[in-house]
Amino acid sequence: MKLIVAWLGALWGWIDARLPVQRAWDTHMAKYYAPKNFNFWYFFGVLSLLVLVNQFVTGIWLTMNYEPSAERAFASVEYIMRDVDFGWILRYMHSTGASAFFLVVYLHMFRGLLYGSYKAPRELVWLFGMAIFLALMAEGFFGYVLPWGQMSYWGAQVIISLFGAIPVIGEGIVEWVRGDYLISGITLNRFFALHVVAVPIVLLGLVVLHLLALHEVGSNNPDGVEIKKDKDENGIPLDGIPFHPYYTVHDLVPVAVFLFVFCFIIFFMPEMGGYFIEYANFEEANRLKTPEHIAPVWYFTPFYSMLRAVTFEIGPLTAKFMGFLAMAAAIAILFVLPWLDKSKEKSFRYKGRITGIMLLLFAASFVILGVLGVKAPTDDRTLLAQITMVMYFAFFITMPVWSVKKGGVSILRYLLTGIFAIGFFGLGMPKEGVELSIVVRICSIVLGLFFLVLPWLVERNISKPEPDRITMDGGMGFWRSLSVLFIVLALIILPLKAAGSEANHDCGAISCDAFEADATDQESLQNGAKIFVNYCMGCHAAAYSRWERVADDLDIPHGMMMDNLVFSGQKIGGLMEISMSERSGKDWFGAPPPDLTLVTRARSGKWVYTYLRNFYADESRPIGVNNKVFKDVGMPHALLDLQGLPGCTDGPTLATNGGIKVDPLTSEPLNDDPCGNYELLTKGELSPVEYDEAVYDLVNFLSYLANPVVEESRQTGVYVLLFLAFLLIWVVLLNREYWKDIH
Amino acid sequence: MSNDGVVNQKRRRFLTGMTCAVGAVGVGGAAIPFVGSWFPSARAKTAGAPVKIDIGKIEPGAMMIEEWRGQPVYIVRRPAQALESLENLRDTVKDPESEDSDQPEYVDPVTRAIKAEFLIMLGLCTHLGCAPKYRPEVGAADLGGEAWLGGFFCPCHGSKFDLAGRVYKDVPAPTNLKIPPHNYESDTVVVIGIDPEATS
Repeated sequence: MKLIVAWLGALWGWIDARLPVQRAWDTHMAKYYAPKNFNFWYFFGVLSLLVLVNQFVTGIWLTMNYEPSAERAFASVEYIMRDVDFGWILRYMHSTGASAFFLVVYLHMFRGLLYGSYKAPRELVWLFGMAIFLALMAEGFFGYVLPWGQMSYWGAQVIISLFGAIPVIGEGIVEWVRGDYLISGITLNRFFALHVVAVPIVLLGLVVLHLLALHEVGSNNPDGVEIKKDKDENGIPLDGIPFHPYYTVHDLVPVAVFLFVFCFIIFFMPEMGGYFIEYANFEEANRLKTPEHIAPVWYFTPFYSMLRAVTFEIGPLTAKFMGFLAMAAAIAILFVLPWLDKSKEKSFRYKGRITGIMLLLFAASFVILGVLGVKAPTDDRTLLAQITMVMYFAFFITMPVWSVKKGGVSILRYLLTGIFAIGFFGLGMPKEGVELSIVVRICSIVLGLFFLVLPWLVERNISKPEPDRITMDGGMGFWRSLSVLFIVLALIILPLKAAGSEANHDCGAISCDAFEADATDQESLQNGAKIFVNYCMGCHAAAYSRWERVADDLDIPHGMMMDNLVFSGQKIGGLMEISMSERSGKDWFGAPPPDLTLVTRARSGKWVYTYLRNFYADESRPIGVNNKVFKDVGMPHALLDLQGLPGCTDGPTLATNGGIKVDPLTSEPLNDDPCGNYELLTKGELSPVEYDEAVYDLVNFLSYLANPVVEESRQTGVYVLLFLAFLLIWVVLLNREYWKDIH
Repeated sequence: MSNDGVVNQKRRRFLTGMTCAVGAVGVGGAAIPFVGSWFPSARAKTAGAPVKIDIGKIEPGAMMIEEWRGQPVYIVRRPAQALESLENLRDTVKDPESEDSDQPEYVDPVTRAIKAEFLIMLGLCTHLGCAPKYRPEVGAADLGGEAWLGGFFCPCHGSKFDLAGRVYKDVPAPTNLKIPPHNYESDTVVVIGIDPEATS
């Protein structure tokens, strides 16, 4: 034993004499002195590093099964999700990681904004960080194209078309980027190369530079006071503590909490309500059909909003080009931030009240832009986007005016803020022919007034003096933080509510019926499988799923499955394909019947459920039926034998608010919609109640088919979360033990 | 940092140890999907599913090659004299009772078949994985003349096997050719890839 220790010691000495291992460890960990007053905002640096590692590892594993071709990309992602053991976990780790990356990076950047971490001597840290952000956006964009779903395709189409806005050379650039006359497999291949090789290398290099630059100048802190000013006799900053072990154990706490939330999303809500994985992306890319509602993933939406908000033209510059410019400028202006801030202090704690207000307005504007970006534009929303966009730029461009405590009164200062005041007033004015939300307009007028008097306000700025040494309780405290959070939320929600309101029937012309899938109801799933094979698979395949998987998950013996459900000539392990070719499908129905494996994920279960219950006789259609959920659909009523043929009768009219129209005098429903109710013209094999049950079973089976791991995921998730909670206990205890004497 | 003297080292060490231990379990758990995803996928398993072969039409002395899991499966219908030769080679082959070789236990160790008439084995040399040639002609001059009683010869590195796939002494291949799991569904239909017990 002793011998081994001695031998290892000698080996260590041999290596350290040839490679600066000890020195690197000391420089960056054991003797890197960090201010001891880091707060909550300082967690996001280490978290972004954690997510980076997650993205690298899961990304490498995904490439092992992903196929970057237009023909196979979408299917290979479903192959990973279904056929590769644990593939769904790897994929969700990566897709959730992408969103998590942007979330922590945005918070990390906002931390820099709050405490002036971009100011001298940390300009390079900020610039490298911004370069990382830029590379990350490129990485996110390229990565989003790879699954080759509808959103991948049309998102890429929109973003690449942006370059077409550049005068003269634009169209040439677009063609060059695509390498084709449309987004095609060629484009996909080059994006794959960039996503998995080129950009990650750049990112990694930039992260190293970011950290090296940081460790050269030392970390900033919530007080913005340089700890290197006050050193003890050994040259160690009095307000610093070694990063290791103090911050390594400290950071374990947010890491554990983060993993808890991260895993919760992975195992219980991987699409995150359509924000992390957009529903339309469960449909394969189709270059002839744009999805009804197209929006980028949430982390691009603030900038996407600005792109859309520019609706005016200046001389020869088109709105398209100006929107492109606004978006580019919104990112570019972040790079010059260190030179826009003229304050002597770093932290907003000591910069005065104006800075606080500005930060609030900026944060609210950014979030509002983000929220607007995922919604379809209306007049009110466009106006709100314009106001918040102007605010975004006003924050940066007028910063030289308000970041100083006293700047004196000069024409130039009034001119700079005055331009924005005029802009806000202009946006707040009533427009002819358009009725705009009065609340949103008032917001704009108030902002205009604020900017009009801004230089005057700056002269009367209230501020606390900056302390000499860092403080451990200089923050706002719990209740004040909570109230600030409340103000930010109010600033975000109020204008959005005012610009909200849209008529919404989520199932075509009507509201969706209630539907809740139950993946544990084997009897229902088995019945659904039977109906699906007998009534749907004449035309629709489910070619991402395998018969054997369905048999095993639904407790159907293989022999029974082969005899009753699997088509002759197919193997139990084979994909659930059909014999009808895409071509004949197109000839017969006008469009090939879509694959149904993922229909309930692309559309939602209640949509399919409602759709199947709303066929009705319509003589004007070539197939004799129409559908209220999917108007003029080419599909015949496949379940006609079961339901019978419903015909239209008078019934209540649906109001745009989701209710039904009633007589204002008697409150009786107005039965003036000629198709407000159904009456069976021919009888089916099943009674209406039985039919509803059969459709429920069918859609329940389709929900299982779309996401066969949903039960497994929940069960695994519970264990993972319990484990992480257990880990959190130890991490908290460890952290408390090390930090109990740090004051 | 103010009072290093009163640091409870024992407590710190215990908590560090516990956190590391729990963390190590976590890392181990996190490794499961990464390691697990390398096993054959459902697609690979389907491609490697058992194959059903009609062997009734093979002429005595002839060999047919089928594919199972992408590997060649040799099926030889051995005439009576070929089976007799196996006993005579007892001293010539390295592992006459197939004690060190890879084969299902329901297979006879000498004839290496369920039904002696049909030899069903993987046509991959146990040396370095080439496909041995079927050389049934007794007394082939290039394979040792009169001593050659028919068998398989690997052209890559010269390993010789008899008509039961048993490896000769003094050749590079270490063990007899592998016998895959297989089961007779009827007299002439065999399923490669499953054991007899599995179907009952």
